[in-house]
Amino acid sequence: MSGHVKEFTKGFFRENPTFIVLLGLCPTLGTTTMVANGIGMGLGVIFVLFFSNIIISLCRKCIPASIHIPAYIVIIATLVTLLQMLLEAYVPSLYASLGVYLPLIVVNCIILGRAEAFASSHGVLDSALDGLGMGMGLTMNLTVIALIREVLGAGTITLFPIGGWDGVINVPILHTTPCRVMTLAAGALLLMGYLLPAFKALIGLITAPKEATR
Amino acid sequence: MNKDMAKNLRYGAILLVICAVCSLALSVVNKITLPVIQGHNAATKTQALAPLAGGMSIGDETLVSGDEMVASYYVLSQGNDVGGYILTLKGSGYGGEFTLLASYLTSGEVISAKMLSDSETPGLGKKSEEDWYMDKFKGTGTADKPVPTSKSMLSKADSDAISGASVTFGGVSKCIAYGSTYVIQKGGAK
Repeated sequence: MSGHVKEFTKGFFRENPTFIVLLGLCPTLGTTTMVANGIGMGLGVIFVLFFSNIIISLCRKCIPASIHIPAYIVIIATLVTLLQMLLEAYVPSLYASLGVYLPLIVVNCIILGRAEAFASSHGVLDSALDGLGMGMGLTMNLTVIALIREVLGAGTITLFPIGGWDGVINVPILHTTPCRVMTLAAGALLLMGYLLPAFKALIGLITAPKEATR
Repeated sequence: MNKDMAKNLRYGAILLVICAVCSLALSVVNKITLPVIQGHNAATKTQALAPLAGGMSIGDETLVSGDEMVASYYVLSQGNDVGGYILTLKGSGYGGEFTLLASYLTSGEVISAKMLSDSETPGLGKKSEEDWYMDKFKGTGTADKPVPTSKSMLSKADSDAISGASVTFGGVSKCIAYGSTYVIQKGGAK
């Protein structure tokens, strides 16, 4: 049981896709101009990662190693296209706000990376938990990065509209005098430069007491 | 048949099966979602047309073939006279192709414009979907007030507002300027 829990939780800290494994940085930096986009992108990746890991794990004995990449790309591209069609039909506002980043999930290294490194050699349950954990870890990262960038760069927090509420919270002071560079690519890279060592220091604080007791 | 050929044929067959299953799944989902998507697109277009008409009545859509930017137009009528046009314009921005609606008086003056669909960058080029973005084009397209096609033709506030999305602005303004010329050439014809 603890093995399954480990497979699920490793995506949050120990093998965090953005801050530890450094995978999928391009869409991470690209989509995090608004909190709603970060959450939307994260949910999209969870959907694709979860199902691609399950399908690839189920087919792992039928797909020879030399055709792993073309086979996995076809499966992942199909899942992304399915997601695109479903979002465009049933959640058009999220589909519109994700724009070009939605089809780019196909080339997100996290998905192909987990398929090749994990799902192709593990059982269905572990692969599903790995996909879910990695996807949720990425969503956590995207939300945190987007929150910092949007608050500093636009002085707003954009969530999803509910009823008559447009989903936008204005942050006092920053809303009128935002630091615009934070919404641009340079701001994203600057923030990553601070977040990477901060996250590693946090992991060190969490794991140090455990290692000391061993 | 040698060993390598047999192996390659087996690999090809496996990939063929995977592709066939994926195609089947896509076609089933497409069959279910296509009518819903078409319904959304039609509703979005109808919703977008009304505020662009400037109080005039909107005629039927006429498709245009062979034009580099104008995909279709609607005639705007004031009684029996042609008062203007709404054009469906296709252009390209930073994220690829976009479609926008722009309405004009027969003199080529822009009444209003609205981005219909695009793949621009969220937080940057996506701003073109907001009403204030298109306001800078209203009333332009005349001899003394041409459509702004570069940042230098905008006020400082407008120029700052499109900062970081110059390619999108270039694509949108080029489309709207082209539409203005197209309308002038039509000269009030139905």
